[in-house]
Amino acid sequence: MSKGFYEFFCPVKVIAGEAALEHIPFELSALGASRPLLITDKGVRGAGLTDYVTTACDESGVAMVAVFDDVPPDSSTEVVKEIAELYRNSGADSIIAVGGGSVIDTSKGVNVLVSEGGDDIAKYSGAGVLKRPLKPFFVVPTTAGTGSEVTSVAIIADKSKGVKLPFGSPFLLPNAAIIDPRMTLTLPPHITAATAMDALTHATEAFTCLAKNPLSDAYALSAIRKISDNLLNVMDNPKDVEGRLELAQASTMAGIAFSNSMVGLVHSLGHALGAICHLPHGLCMSLFLPYVLEYNLSKDKSREALSELLLPLAGAEVYARTPEGQRAEKAIETIRDLRDELYERCKLPRTLEETGKVGRDQLARIADMALDDGSIMFNPAEADFDEVLKVLNLAWG
Amino acid sequence: MSLQQIKTLAMSQSKRLYVTTMMQVVGRALQAISEQDEEIQKISSAFPEGFVFSMQVLPNGPGFALRKTADNSLEFLDDIPTEKPDLTIYIKHLEHAFRILSFQESTAQAFANDRMIVDGDISFAIRMTRALNRLEAYILPKLVAELAIKEYPHIPLPEKVLHGARIYLRVATNFISQQVKFA
Repeated sequence: MSKGFYEFFCPVKVIAGEAALEHIPFELSALGASRPLLITDKGVRGAGLTDYVTTACDESGVAMVAVFDDVPPDSSTEVVKEIAELYRNSGADSIIAVGGGSVIDTSKGVNVLVSEGGDDIAKYSGAGVLKRPLKPFFVVPTTAGTGSEVTSVAIIADKSKGVKLPFGSPFLLPNAAIIDPRMTLTLPPHITAATAMDALTHATEAFTCLAKNPLSDAYALSAIRKISDNLLNVMDNPKDVEGRLELAQASTMAGIAFSNSMVGLVHSLGHALGAICHLPHGLCMSLFLPYVLEYNLSKDKSREALSELLLPLAGAEVYARTPEGQRAEKAIETIRDLRDELYERCKLPRTLEETGKVGRDQLARIADMALDDGSIMFNPAEADFDEVLKVLNLAWG
Repeated sequence: MSLQQIKTLAMSQSKRLYVTTMMQVVGRALQAISEQDEEIQKISSAFPEGFVFSMQVLPNGPGFALRKTADNSLEFLDDIPTEKPDLTIYIKHLEHAFRILSFQESTAQAFANDRMIVDGDISFAIRMTRALNRLEAYILPKLVAELAIKEYPHIPLPEKVLHGARIYLRVATNFISQQVKFA
């Protein structure tokens, strides 16, 4: 079915592959910058990942004017303010974010403050508030899942008010995303698995939800194929550089897909579960993906799109021998099989019960919160409280 | 002016008239349903008292605004307040508004097609959309409502007729009382 209308936007330069980090000095100079501030977290720095970035810059005569390595797991307005001060005091003229979703969102917030001035990031919350380009900004993802390096949104918590501030603007996008396999080579198995399932969910929902479009579809299909072809190999051979790069690229491609097609009920449930039970986002995605797809299918939605997904998920042979009318179900079964394989390799939970961190008495609250999540709008099937609760009960175990 | 230009102008003016009228009808109908429907009151219970919601076509309207009252109903405001509403759903163009209000494009699909932007709390926008969907299910014939919303809910026919009639009656009364007020 052709799409009557769509918008697609991704101006981020993607620099991917071996020795990609060594392109940073040139890219900085191309934007007239030479004094970067590096933003990261303790785990990333402790793993020595920032050393690759600083060495790559040092070798070209570019020194970090400062390094902030204390970004917490949840970005906050206070941390953003603190880093913005460091930026100003150090005389930095650009930002390099090295880390996962929190580091990237924090860095987006810092870039807003140092470009627009002031120390109250809340002033710039909302959609389309920013009206001009910000300072040169580079993102080096160290997980292969969030896709934040290519999304024009950020969530930063205002802990004093107990709210999460959403930011949305094309100006939040970095000038370049640097995808270097060295950055994900030492990811522990359970994080590799959870973040890959995050990327798989981004691509699957982008392909099956209401805002799907031909350009996002191309990115989503390719991302799914890369994950299917490489995830289990990488789990078995964590030092597989090529496989790591494929997963990292899949994450970026899935990010491009979902930032232009949005996501659906898996994310609504995942956001609510993450907020209430403090489980990692990627795990939440993995927990709900098959159940939501089955729910959508039970309402006769997404059958065509899901059937198409069988090809990148399971390969040509399985696709060819599966009767047309059963391909959607087979696609879901393939995702379930993948989760079983991951459980075998790293005990990535498959059900809410297996997490050991969710109480059955919390399900109603999760359902309630999921109903108010922005992504529910884009789910192909409507879902009310009882239906969402039913999905949660199925996902229980 | 060529015949084609006259036709285009007439079409554009008709669309504006239709959208203006429908905005008024939808705004008043939301007030009407919020006064009698517990589900809508449950939806609006999350909004703080005095919360103002508006829906407007860019750049200069038409549109409507509602204010949440203490009893969780929504009060139709004769004019969009000059002070910024707490939540506004902007429709990018008159043509998009026409498609939505003539039920050629559902609210969810219009969001998915980037026809609308939200200025305010997204979760409140989701709630307002749910309220709009419920309204449409009651006041539109099933065949039309199925085009306007993702899934037509199960509503027994007598309930739909009674509920719908009450809403239409309330909207008509509201229109008449406004005419009297301005007469």
